[in-house]
Amino acid sequence: MSLAETLPLLVLVLLLLAGSGVSPSSMEVVFEGDRVVDETPDAFVVAGGNVTVPADAVVQGQLFVIGGDTRIDGRVDGNVRVFAGTLSVSDTATITGELQAVAGNLSVAPGADIGRRTTVDVTRQERTPLATVGIVVMQMVLLGGVAAVLTRRIPHYLATVGDAITGHPVVSGVVGSIAGTTMLVVFVYMAFTLLLLPLSIVGLFVEVLLVGYGYLAYGYLLGQRLPVERDDVASALGVAGFLLCMELLGRVPYVGALIQLSLLLVGLGAVLITYFGVHRFEPPEIPG
Amino acid sequence: MRFVRYVRQGQWATVFGYLLFIALMAAGYYYNVTFVQLGLIDLGVRLVGMTRVQVSMWMAALALLTFVTAVVVGIAMDRRGWSSDLRTKLRLLFGVVVVQFVLTAVAPSIHSVPAFGAWIIVGSISLGVGFPVSFSLAIDLIPVPDRGYVAAVITSVAYFAANAYPLEWSVDVFSRLLTIAMIPGIVVLAVLVSERIGVLDGVLDSLSEQHEQFGRGRFCHPTPVRTRSLALWSPVVLMFGVFFIDSLGFLRIIETPSLVLSSWQSPVYSTRLAIALVHVVGALMAGVLYVNFDRNALFLWVFALFSLTYVLYTTDLRVASLFPGLVSNDTAILNPLLYALTVSFYTTLNFALWPDLSTAETVGTHSAIGIGMAGWLATFLSTAVSLFLEDANVGLLSHLNLVNALALLLFVGLIVTLYGTRLVRYAREAESG
Repeated sequence: MSLAETLPLLVLVLLLLAGSGVSPSSMEVVFEGDRVVDETPDAFVVAGGNVTVPADAVVQGQLFVIGGDTRIDGRVDGNVRVFAGTLSVSDTATITGELQAVAGNLSVAPGADIGRRTTVDVTRQERTPLATVGIVVMQMVLLGGVAAVLTRRIPHYLATVGDAITGHPVVSGVVGSIAGTTMLVVFVYMAFTLLLLPLSIVGLFVEVLLVGYGYLAYGYLLGQRLPVERDDVASALGVAGFLLCMELLGRVPYVGALIQLSLLLVGLGAVLITYFGVHRFEPPEIPG
Repeated sequence: MRFVRYVRQGQWATVFGYLLFIALMAAGYYYNVTFVQLGLIDLGVRLVGMTRVQVSMWMAALALLTFVTAVVVGIAMDRRGWSSDLRTKLRLLFGVVVVQFVLTAVAPSIHSVPAFGAWIIVGSISLGVGFPVSFSLAIDLIPVPDRGYVAAVITSVAYFAANAYPLEWSVDVFSRLLTIAMIPGIVVLAVLVSERIGVLDGVLDSLSEQHEQFGRGRFCHPTPVRTRSLALWSPVVLMFGVFFIDSLGFLRIIETPSLVLSSWQSPVYSTRLAIALVHVVGALMAGVLYVNFDRNALFLWVFALFSLTYVLYTTDLRVASLFPGLVSNDTAILNPLLYALTVSFYTTLNFALWPDLSTAETVGTHSAIGIGMAGWLATFLSTAVSLFLEDANVGLLSHLNLVNALALLLFVGLIVTLYGTRLVRYAREAESG
């Protein structure tokens, strides 16, 4: 298992521990080698190697499996969670708490004594056509409503962003892609520090808002071209139309996704280079 | 883009000027990033048998001599009027390429310190002549509004070739390839400077007059940038910082097999191709940014990206030192890709910046100062420092930490300076009512 694969799971474990009031400093992590466990700190994480809880052992605390091979023959007084790797629970094993399987390989012998057993299904469920339509309509109503309000109150902001989209798509796209990628990398790495996790979540949320603002500008542009008298209604309809176009593009393999991404990045860049629509973007005059 | 207009209008002499400039600069830059930067270390250590510290001292001497030569030649070009004389510049360049060809061909047969020293001295002088001459060609061949895009193309071509084409980083391999690759360049330059082909002579006549139209750089309006002004020395200092940071970090990265074998020297072609493509994308992005924003915006992006790149490198190393069991052979490619993007950004900026800070009367001096000091001196001083730190057994993490600290310092310093400058300006405006 690579560093990039293990780190997010380790962060997840730390978050769960923090949520359950256990200090991460009392956690022990095994990355490699053979290990027999007969007593544990508050939390024990198996990230690699071969770990065994022997038949005569009674361990207290939480056990997390995020890699490697783990075998429980003895008693665990606490919860056991499997996110990756392999866990075997034998006939002689007892788990007084919850055995939760999220991913990875789990085998439980029929004679094992498990307090409670749950499985979290993280496989992607195919949406029904009705649900898909419902979600798109909900987005249309929500973003359309925001577009209508903004058009009524600050129409020039949306117009300025829209001008950057139509007048300077290449510059907007370049700024959108470089800023979007940089922000994404920074926020993800912030999350790994744990200390900056709240800031990371806020940052990602802001990035989504910026993309949403770009969508509103597209909607405004489309609305201006509709034969509707009221500007706010036109913007709302424009946003609805834009979202519908994006949804349809998503159904075209490769090319559709590429166009979707380009539109998103151009919108994001246009928002940034116009300072959220406050300042009209004018490239410098280059004499010669 | 002016280039499209010239093609539509059938101004083929100008179009030829674009192509000539791109070819000369891309080839020259490829030669520097491969043969001079990487090949020289191999030559000194492996063939001559010197220690790394000794090689670093010679490289520092090479840098200094190149810089001094470049400044002397640059000033002479401006004073004697060669800066605006295309034919003289092409003749000088032809001489430089011939000398470099000989030096490249004989490099693998150098096995003694005196021969290495002589090679360094001749190489420094030819490089010192080559920099101001080649960069000053921009005022004859490239119109000001297109310089960002042309710089992007040069960077793309040079880095794509350097990364996509698999080469062993040894002086023998570089020497073989480059001596063959230089022959067409020598032939083309020889034909151009011989003035024996009427059509080409007409083209050169036409190109020779273009400096009157293209000569005044973007940042020389309304008044030209003076040599003793902050307008020139601020970019010099910033660019010095950029080159210093890049070289200080990269030289250590390429000495670390786990990092370089999973990226620039990866046996997997798709990995190298990905790096090459990111170089191209990064250069084109930088070209667009250069044309559409103030130059400080691009400097900010460069320092920000360098900071981010080294944050990622040092984070990976810290995690690996804390959890050795997590280290695997599949090193993430994100770090070298981000590195490639950053390098393309600043290289593009470097190609466009110096001619744009010059006029036809100052391009020799300003290019020499810019390239000699910011590019050449910084690169080789940092190379010497890098080798010295390695010899002093400074660990990889500590080394990259130092690079990261420098990048962050320059990033924050630039933001504070820009903000402070603006603050002073607004305060003065408020005072004057």
